[in-house]
Amino acid sequence: MAEDRFLDQVTALLPALRAFGRSLCGDPARADDLVQDTVLKAWTNREQFQSGSNLKAWLFTILRNCYYSELRHRKFEVEDPDGVCAAQVAVAPDHDAKLHLRDLSHALLELPSDQREALILVCATGLSYEEAADVCQVAVGTIKSRIARARDRLVDLLGEDAAHINGPLSMLESTSQSGTQSSSQRSSGAT
Amino acid sequence: MTEKIKSDPVPEAPEAATAEQVPDWLSGRLRRMFTDVMDEPVPDEFKALLKQLEDKERGP
Repeated sequence: MAEDRFLDQVTALLPALRAFGRSLCGDPARADDLVQDTVLKAWTNREQFQSGSNLKAWLFTILRNCYYSELRHRKFEVEDPDGVCAAQVAVAPDHDAKLHLRDLSHALLELPSDQREALILVCATGLSYEEAADVCQVAVGTIKSRIARARDRLVDLLGEDAAHINGPLSMLESTSQSGTQSSSQRSSGAT
Repeated sequence: MTEKIKSDPVPEAPEAATAEQVPDWLSGRLRRMFTDVMDEPVPDEFKALLKQLEDKERGP
């Protein structure tokens, strides 16, 4: 892979890396530090990346390793007793839809990190079950069970009424999903 | 000062490998939360880092 091509691809993936980093740690500044570490490590080890394979999954794997490595060094788990980090995850609640997103951001931070990352990787970043399993270095079945536990916990936290909200976000979701296949048809890793 | 970097798009619902285990309302909201962050401008410090790496590759 040409060096400038590699850098171009990394550059294009920066927004996704920042979003994934923020979903892991809940802190925008810390997430950006993680992304910078990730870019440096990716550049240093770029010869190990196999051209034609999934660069996004490879970068997510590096970012995840950076995150857990940092956690081990700091000897603490993610804590946010005052909700400071959680409040930064979402945009300002200037209307109902964003209020619901803030609720979701808070609820996500209630999940164990392994469940949170599995849910985000498959449902938000567009990775397949198999790619998410590679990123997390676990079996596909483990990813599925983590997602199931995360889903159950989020529904508990957000309440069943969250599925029936009539607001701008619900309209947006309806629009984006109209005329599409069902999710079970789309998912190649489903059993 | 920040500048918007053209990013790899997050797959929309039709192409996304969405977990069939997760209800549409929840996966839709997760995607929206993720893309909200992706839509933020990328800080200049990242551009500086990438420029630094490019320069390093080219040599002195």
